[in-house]
Amino acid sequence: MKTRIKELRARYNLTQEDLARKIGVRRETIHFIEKGNYNPSLNLAHDIARALQTTIDELFIFDEK
Amino acid sequence: MKDKTVIYVGIGLVIMVILTLAFYVLTTATITLNEIFPITIALVLVIFALYVFWDRMKNIRKGLPVKDERIMNISYKAGYYGFMAAIWTAVGANVVISILFNLELTASHLTGIIVMVSGLVFAISYLLLARAGDKTLKEE
Repeated sequence: MKTRIKELRARYNLTQEDLARKIGVRRETIHFIEKGNYNPSLNLAHDIARALQTTIDELFIFDEK
Repeated sequence: MKDKTVIYVGIGLVIMVILTLAFYVLTTATITLNEIFPITIALVLVIFALYVFWDRMKNIRKGLPVKDERIMNISYKAGYYGFMAAIWTAVGANVVISILFNLELTASHLTGIIVMVSGLVFAISYLLLARAGDKTLKEE
């Protein structure tokens, strides 16, 4: 699974720490989601999507394998 | 505030454990096998606790939460690895020690080894998952 978090963060000029603070998680959690080393829960995915003013399916790109 | 209090109490306890261990080791002429296990277990727990407190303090200073869903998930995962290690140690420790050192372990030695191994496995898996993330997700 790939994500567009980094790209959208850059668009809104947010650091990983800013985004983490906005949604109430640790900075490392954002880092690992961006790298694909952690799969967030549906709730967290929803919170991230909301913070970046997008939808879950726009934010996460699933491999069709 | 509650998180900070827990950390300060924890750090106080860790300092007391370290002082007690240092006092015990310095005043004991020779340390026997019976004493090595509890000392090692205490040391592993102390080092791991210090890392956890330092990590939590770092997040509190930045205004970030000390726990989130990823930390809870890696705690469960590390707990599972520690539990599995405890089971396999209980099954295999006596056999391995008797083959390698030709020794028969007593029940207290075996308990010490199980606690030490499962504690170490828990601490190592927690640290690896916390620092490097879950790399197995990339292979799925």
